[in-house]
Amino acid sequence: MNSGLIQQLSSSVFYIIAGLTVFFAIRLVISRNIFHSAIFLAMVLMGVACVYLYLGAEFLAIAQVLIYVGAIVILFLFVIMLTASIHDRAISQMNKQVLISAAGAAAFLLLIIKVIKAGSWQANNPSAPELSIKELGKSLMTTYVLPFEAISLILIAVLVGAIVIAKSGKR
Amino acid sequence: MIPLDHFLILGAILFSIGIFGVLTRRSAIGILMSIELILNTANINFIAFNKFLGAGDGLGQIFALLVITIAAASAVIGLVLIIAVYRNTKNIFAENINLMKW
Repeated sequence: MNSGLIQQLSSSVFYIIAGLTVFFAIRLVISRNIFHSAIFLAMVLMGVACVYLYLGAEFLAIAQVLIYVGAIVILFLFVIMLTASIHDRAISQMNKQVLISAAGAAAFLLLIIKVIKAGSWQANNPSAPELSIKELGKSLMTTYVLPFEAISLILIAVLVGAIVIAKSGKR
Repeated sequence: MIPLDHFLILGAILFSIGIFGVLTRRSAIGILMSIELILNTANINFIAFNKFLGAGDGLGQIFALLVITIAAASAVIGLVLIIAVYRNTKNIFAENINLMKW
């Protein structure tokens, strides 16, 4: 197989994945059953992970699947089952602002696409060597060690805060 | 080779869908899920700009990693708050959460 065909195949797979991701995202926001929404969220996140792979960010794709699909969506499912009555389809899941929100979102999308089309993006290194996981980890521990430490602090704070808030209300 | 525009347009479409979800969802969990979607589109833009216009030092990827962590933290705190509200009001619809309003 020649490389042109492979390239064409890979870009058509990208467009299929992008279309599926958009489809699942629309189902995520309009689904009446909140449980289905969480499943569609997992699908969307998998699609975004595939887009990361196309952008040469392997570590982020893995982290996306591990953190989002593996942890956050499961957390969402737990909270849905702990709180909402998921089988009650009679309750409307949308408020009364559907039309005006759709119009606003569409107008915003048009504006963004116009800006993207107007901008002249000159790719300065389209064939730059892709960043390996090793280099990413090295720069995370040397150049960008301050944000790394700050994020650790935030995680500790969230851990403690979540336990304190979710604890039984009696003081 | 997929051009940069297409990644940006994919991000814009998903962002608009997320905005629509935040504006129209009644349950607080749905709003949180839409916010997660919006944060993901920001990540797509970060990584796309890093690949096509970056200096090759991976700053965009590191920033996207930080965004993923912040998103996880915000999801946890949001869900815990939803559980706390549900315990008090037996309701998670955003328009009924007005305990702190007078």
